[in-house]
This record gives sequence, structure tokens and C-alpha cells, in this order.
Amino acid sequence: VSELRFDELRGEQVAYAIHRQDRTFLPARDHCPLCPTRPDGPVTEIPFPAFEIAVFENRFPSFTAPLGAAEVVVYTDQHDGSFGTLEPERAEALMWVWRHRYHELGAREDIDYVFIFENRGVEVGVTLSHPHGQIYGYPFLPPVPGLELAADERLGGCAPCALLERELTDGRRLLFEDEGVVAYVPYAARWAYEAHVVMREHRPSLLDCHPEELRLLAGALQRLVRGYDALFERPFPYVMALHQAPTVTREPGADAGPTSGHLHVEFYPPLRTAEKLKYLAGSEQGAGSFISDTLPEESAATLREAIARAS
Amino acid sequence: MVGKPREPDASEPAASADRGAACPARPEERCGVVQVARHVKDDGRALLLYTYVGERGPA
Repeated sequence: VSELRFDELRGEQVAYAIHRQDRTFLPARDHCPLCPTRPDGPVTEIPFPAFEIAVFENRFPSFTAPLGAAEVVVYTDQHDGSFGTLEPERAEALMWVWRHRYHELGAREDIDYVFIFENRGVEVGVTLSHPHGQIYGYPFLPPVPGLELAADERLGGCAPCALLERELTDGRRLLFEDEGVVAYVPYAARWAYEAHVVMREHRPSLLDCHPEELRLLAGALQRLVRGYDALFERPFPYVMALHQAPTVTREPGADAGPTSGHLHVEFYPPLRTAEKLKYLAGSEQGAGSFISDTLPEESAATLREAIARAS
Repeated sequence: MVGKPREPDASEPAASADRGAACPARPEERCGVVQVARHVKDDGRALLLYTYVGERGPA
């Protein structure tokens, strides 16, 4: 059972899930809990001999009902590979799985924010190498989406819409675009190869997207990830974070405010070179201020070349 | 949109379970290009299996 404590000094919630200390840590391939259950093999988290995409409640949850949720999303029953190597239909199907989970978890009264994400690589703390992501249903609005809503207010409208317009006008940090989505290194990127994939039209969540937009989103995310892998010719670690509209329960008749959220996917890769990691050290942790040694315009140019090589 | 998402789900016929610790708890549902089969694991945790059926649905 998790416990929430409010840090008055920082004004934020901290979750204590001490049972996670015992979670499975980099198991041998033949003991992967995310593989299907083979005949004569150990029973895994998915007791079937084959599957396409599986979602289950995390055995070691950070949040659990009636105070949130934690789910695991397994992209494939194949142990090797990655999100980038999925067949296009599987990647498209994953967008609908995410949509389904956003809808169902977001409808729960105890969940104020549905956060879909993937950690890839031991560099960002992955404990299972089988291709998978996670979903947290937070029983509160976390700080980052809260800051995005504050940006909406500061800019007098949808901040991602405004920032997308700026990126399209500037053009130097664009990675690629199509009729559904635009990918770019943001003007004030924190990470050397940070990238955002943003819905071109104002879509608060996956629920608001047309089927064609979901297909384009899947293709864009795969294109970016393949480009990442081509960048240093190695599996590229990252955190992939979907930002969508909160699902906060509001009092009947309450003002929903000018904000709505805008579906976009942010990638935070920790590598700044093929071998060097960006660490969150004194300034980042102690002062909350990022210091980057890479200009976003230069990163975008390098990343564009990598994406072209991977296409 | 800030608030609880609302969208009706279409229902489809039920699926069968395989060996092990899960059985379908509800009929299968369709969500866009995927079909959802709900199961409950031995320890009570939910397990959902999604199958790509495309825009036209299962053959």
C-alpha cells in the first residue's frame, strides 16, 4: 500500500511505495515476467502462450485503488525488439490501447491524471528489458501537467498550440511533420536530444483524435525512436511521456477554466554523446534549473540527419 | 477538456480463456482497431488482452 505525503516546502506530493523495493530486477531472459507463458515454462504475468498487446495491474504498484492506479502495457510477446521495431499495425493498435486506458482510468473518481509513459534503457532505471510501457493514474494533478496548465493561463490560451506555431514559424528545430503531427526539439529543451511530438490540431487527449491522427501519431513516434537509435548506432535510452488533459473531478457547475491540455509526447533522452550521460546534479536538483551544453538548433540538425538515415 | 472522459464502448461476443490463471470477466469490447478481452488473474489483478482487428473488425 502506498502512502502519500505532502512536501510543504516544495508544495508537492511524494508517494511512498516501499513494496517496490522487492520488484523484479533485470531477470534472466527465461524468467522474463512479461513474456507469454510457454508450455512447460514458468507461468508469467500473462498466462497465455501468445498475445499481441497485454495490459495488467502492476504487481508492485506505485498507486492502487482507491487512490490511483498503476498498469503495465506490454507491446508484444516477443522479448527482443522495441517500440521502434513494432509492425506499423501494432504501433497503431497501441495508440488505441492507450486511448482505451485513458478513457477507463480517467473516468474513475479517484484518478485526476492519467500518465502514459515508457522508460527505455537501464540508463533511466528500466528493470525489465521486454518492450513495455506503463500507466500511472495519479490521485492528484502532478507538478508537470500543472505547470503546463499554468502556461496556458500565462499565454492566454493553449500553450502547446502557441509553441507549435512558434516552432513552425521558426523552423530551425523542426524534425519532421505531416498533416497530423509535428516533431521538433523544443526551443528551451532541457535534454540534449529532447524532442516533442505534438498534434497539429488542438486535441486535448487521445479521445479527441480521429483514427487517422492516431495512425499518424504512431508512425511519428516510431520514426523518431528509429532516428534516436540511428543517432549513435545503439539502442537509445529515453523517457517517453504522454501529456494529455487532466481528468480531475470538478464540482458541478465549477468553471473549467481556460485550460484544456493538448496531447503531445515528450522524449527525455539522458545521452548527450554516444557514451556520456547527462546527470541531474547540483543546479538541476538543488536549484531546479537545467544547464545544457547543447544548443537545440544544433541537436535538431543532428537528429534530422539520423532520422533520415533510419528512414 | 478537463474532466471525466465520456465515451460509450461497443460490445462484442465473449472470448475463451487459455491455461493458467485467468478467465474472461466480461464480453469482449471493440475500441477502434483493437478488440479487448478482459481477464482476472489468480491474485485478483486485471489482465486485458488487445488484438488488432483493423478498422473493419474481426474477420
